[in-house]
Amino acid sequence: MLVSWNWLKQYVPLEMTQAELEHRLSMSGLNHEGTRPVADDLAIDLEVTSNRPDCLGHIGVAREIAVLWEQPLTLPDPQPPASSPAAAEQVSVTLQCPELCPRYTARVIRDVSVGPSPDWLVQHLTTIFQPLNPDWQPVNNVVDITNFVLMESGQPLHAFDLDKIGGGQVLVRQADKDEPFTAIDHREYSLGPGICVIADSEKAIALGGVMGGADSEVSGSTKNLLIESARFDPLTTRNTARALNLHSPSSHRFERGVDPVGVEWASRRCCELILEIAGGELAEGIIDAGEPVSEPAPVVLRLSQLKRILGIDVDPGEVTRILTALGNQTAAGGDGELKVTAPSWRRDLTREIDLVEEIARIHGYDKIPEDVGVPMAPSHRTDRDRVESSVRQTLLATGLDEAMTASMVPGSWPECFTAWTDQPPISSRTPMLKGADRLRTSLVPSLLEARRINESLANPVIEIFETASIYLPTESQLPAQQWTLAITSGGDYFRLKGIVEGLLAALKIDLPLQVNEVDLPLLALSRSGELSLGDQRLGFVGEVAPQGLKQFSLRNPASVLELSLDLLAELAELIPQHRNQSAYPSISRDLNIVLAEAVRWSQLEQLVRAVAGNELEAVDYQETYRDSEKDGADTKRILFSMTLRSQDATMTGEHADEIRENVVAEIEKQLEGRLLS
Amino acid sequence: MALNEFLEQLQQLATEATAAFGQADSLDALEAIRVEYLGARQGRLKAAQKLMGQVESEDKPVAGKQFNATKQEIEAGFEEAHQRLSGSGGSRAADPTFDNTLPGEAVGGGHLHPITQTIEELKDIMGRLGFSVADGPEIEDAWHNFEALNIPAEHPARDPLDNFYLATAGAASASEGEAPLLLRSQTSNVQIRVMESTPPPIRIISLGRVYRPDTADATHYPMFHQMEGLLIDEQVTMADLKSVLRLFATSYLGDDVHIRFRPSFFPFTEPSVEADFSWNDKWIEFGGAGMVDPNVFKAVGYDPEVLSGFAFGLGVERLCMRRHGVTDIREFYKNDVRFLHQF
Repeated sequence: MLVSWNWLKQYVPLEMTQAELEHRLSMSGLNHEGTRPVADDLAIDLEVTSNRPDCLGHIGVAREIAVLWEQPLTLPDPQPPASSPAAAEQVSVTLQCPELCPRYTARVIRDVSVGPSPDWLVQHLTTIFQPLNPDWQPVNNVVDITNFVLMESGQPLHAFDLDKIGGGQVLVRQADKDEPFTAIDHREYSLGPGICVIADSEKAIALGGVMGGADSEVSGSTKNLLIESARFDPLTTRNTARALNLHSPSSHRFERGVDPVGVEWASRRCCELILEIAGGELAEGIIDAGEPVSEPAPVVLRLSQLKRILGIDVDPGEVTRILTALGNQTAAGGDGELKVTAPSWRRDLTREIDLVEEIARIHGYDKIPEDVGVPMAPSHRTDRDRVESSVRQTLLATGLDEAMTASMVPGSWPECFTAWTDQPPISSRTPMLKGADRLRTSLVPSLLEARRINESLANPVIEIFETASIYLPTESQLPAQQWTLAITSGGDYFRLKGIVEGLLAALKIDLPLQVNEVDLPLLALSRSGELSLGDQRLGFVGEVAPQGLKQFSLRNPASVLELSLDLLAELAELIPQHRNQSAYPSISRDLNIVLAEAVRWSQLEQLVRAVAGNELEAVDYQETYRDSEKDGADTKRILFSMTLRSQDATMTGEHADEIRENVVAEIEKQLEGRLLS
Repeated sequence: MALNEFLEQLQQLATEATAAFGQADSLDALEAIRVEYLGARQGRLKAAQKLMGQVESEDKPVAGKQFNATKQEIEAGFEEAHQRLSGSGGSRAADPTFDNTLPGEAVGGGHLHPITQTIEELKDIMGRLGFSVADGPEIEDAWHNFEALNIPAEHPARDPLDNFYLATAGAASASEGEAPLLLRSQTSNVQIRVMESTPPPIRIISLGRVYRPDTADATHYPMFHQMEGLLIDEQVTMADLKSVLRLFATSYLGDDVHIRFRPSFFPFTEPSVEADFSWNDKWIEFGGAGMVDPNVFKAVGYDPEVLSGFAFGLGVERLCMRRHGVTDIREFYKNDVRFLHQF
């Protein structure tokens, strides 16, 4: 919000330098954002937080300055003369929707001379409006005065041309569905229920709390005025402004809440200035519909809380000075206590802790030390953290880079990779990025898109992984968040399978990795697999099928992998236990077996382990070779080696041969394979 | 035996040995020659040593001295031959085809994302200060994301345009816009969850992705990362907050850093401040902080009369961008591998 240096001087002496003022305000709650000279004045931009609507006017800011520099605050005391007939006889006000507009007041002024505003008024308004809107011009004395009082007190006002109010009736009501309205910005709006309008007997003449109507605005020919000063409900105002995409200084203030006592003060002040500047006669009385102003309840401040919360002592005399200067009434309470009643413009001071903050910010946060000893405490590294670290280390060592992609994706992506769920993904009401409004059910499409971006930059090596949550719909409304790892590589199926095996080894997960056929359209039919550990699904791996490459506009071959890190974390052995190694050397035996094509390596390996028993230290696949001429159609040869070792003695060659023979015999029996001699 | 006869034999031995070693063309051949001349039991040098016994006693000193010289000469001959034959290619000669400036075998280490690296460093520093990491969901209900944080229904922070509310069955009408679930807008939801399920004292940081609708540009992205700290105990004050922030900032920057508070407003803290740290004679924004609002304590079942605590939060992307000189936040989510390789 912009405030004018010259304008502020009307309420409080400004004997400090510009820099001192800017700094001190920043240090006490009004963050200084910039200052710009305007003619012979300064426009000072201050950030007003949403809990301080009292500072959305020059008087509020002046009060802060008065408290900080211990200066007197000089406020106008408007007492405009009034005469009959009374306002209530000239216009009627009916408040039909008190939940949208808790209070509506109106005064009437007749026989004004609408014309240009005096220089002092134009200068003040120019300083604070022109920097944001270079085309800003004053309107006329009446409208300018309402804007002046708005920016002076923070209370929005509106002046109507009284003669344009049909039937002399003001009705504060909800808008009708599709009710049309032309605002003073000369745009058309279509309203609806939930929106508060000021209406006459025929139609809406103002959008309550937001903007006046074009038809009833004060122009050069206006003679009689209705001055509105009201309080509109914050939530209603905010919804209206959002729904119509129409924001104004008025809506800004009603959204944050205005001073209930200030409603009437501002009305009086506005009328006084109008009489002074535009002439006319003020009708007696004020029409006042709605809730009466309630007295704020006093709050007890225990002085001990200052030390308890802030960590410093504050002299009780200083405490009272600060609270009083801010406008609170203070009275002695019990021992070490003050009874504090907040002023009407500080509806945010309702609790003891709120008062503690007031004292702290005025007394100065620089008084709080930064060197107190903070007690030591243990901190425990979580298992999840250890697993994550181990996984990352393994992946980095294989040459993968870590990527991060957006959690929301376009709808077409979850459709193309339904590996984890066949439910449609959860949607967000607002897209995250253009077209991306689904909470992703897989990381794979996002990584393929990252692949595409890299390919478009002709980056030749694209080896990336990501660990993030995917959001799987469940029976209830709350989706299950699965911590997931996905990889995309330019390598083939075996590169990624090797990485899975590497991860299992790094996390010391002893369960055998099971691979089953899977049919996922994005992946090549045979060169893919579903991975399991025991009876739990671990994930998927595969080369991207040509149609998948096309869908993501990829030119070069790619493979993908996606695993549940939740499962890996559950099964990880984070503190490996030592087992005694055998003191004896190992013996190895190679086997070259001819088998039917359909036999899987996993079947062969399982069989070997089962037969060879616990003297088998390792079974290592070497290679596959085919010679259909010698072996027949649909056959293959698998060469593998067994490493054998005994715990108790050096294994003899004979014993190793024995084991080998047993293995061969079972292979023949169970898998119809035969040993090549 | 006459002395000069002995000396002649030594001379003969040395000459023959030198010639033999010089002509050896393989390590195996060399070994045979070594055994012949220098063999411990039956080598010719050994035989010559035995002959020395037959020399007159007054000639023995001269004989012994010459014997040692001969021994050394033969051994040197062996060494030289051994070195010659141990070099690759059989001779130690220059190989002009070997370019020792060619690149070595590539070791392919991958790179952690710079945001991850920043987070790990923050976890590390806070861990040393006694703060453990707490985890929580990204999808949150309105109670944990707003109400418990003292953000009532009318508060602008709940506006549908400012949050990613989910379109779930049973969501309220469009004009009200208040759906029950949303993507969390700060990681404080984790703190609430920890407090409601754990008795104090609490000393945690919560980290992770947070979401706020924003058009993506150089300094804004609708998804980013936050770290929030929380310390709850009896007699925790703002001085403790300032001191912890100072310890953190000093650890992070490696130099003596001062902390400054500017009053601000967050619904979940009272008092609320913006914390700045000093660096190179300038004040730089750190993030928001404050004492936990009593309403938050009540929401999680803590007694604000007995306990007090502070909370602080900072944006990870902003910290990372400042440290590494990244000027466009979108780079973090574009994942150009050349960008990733810079960290």
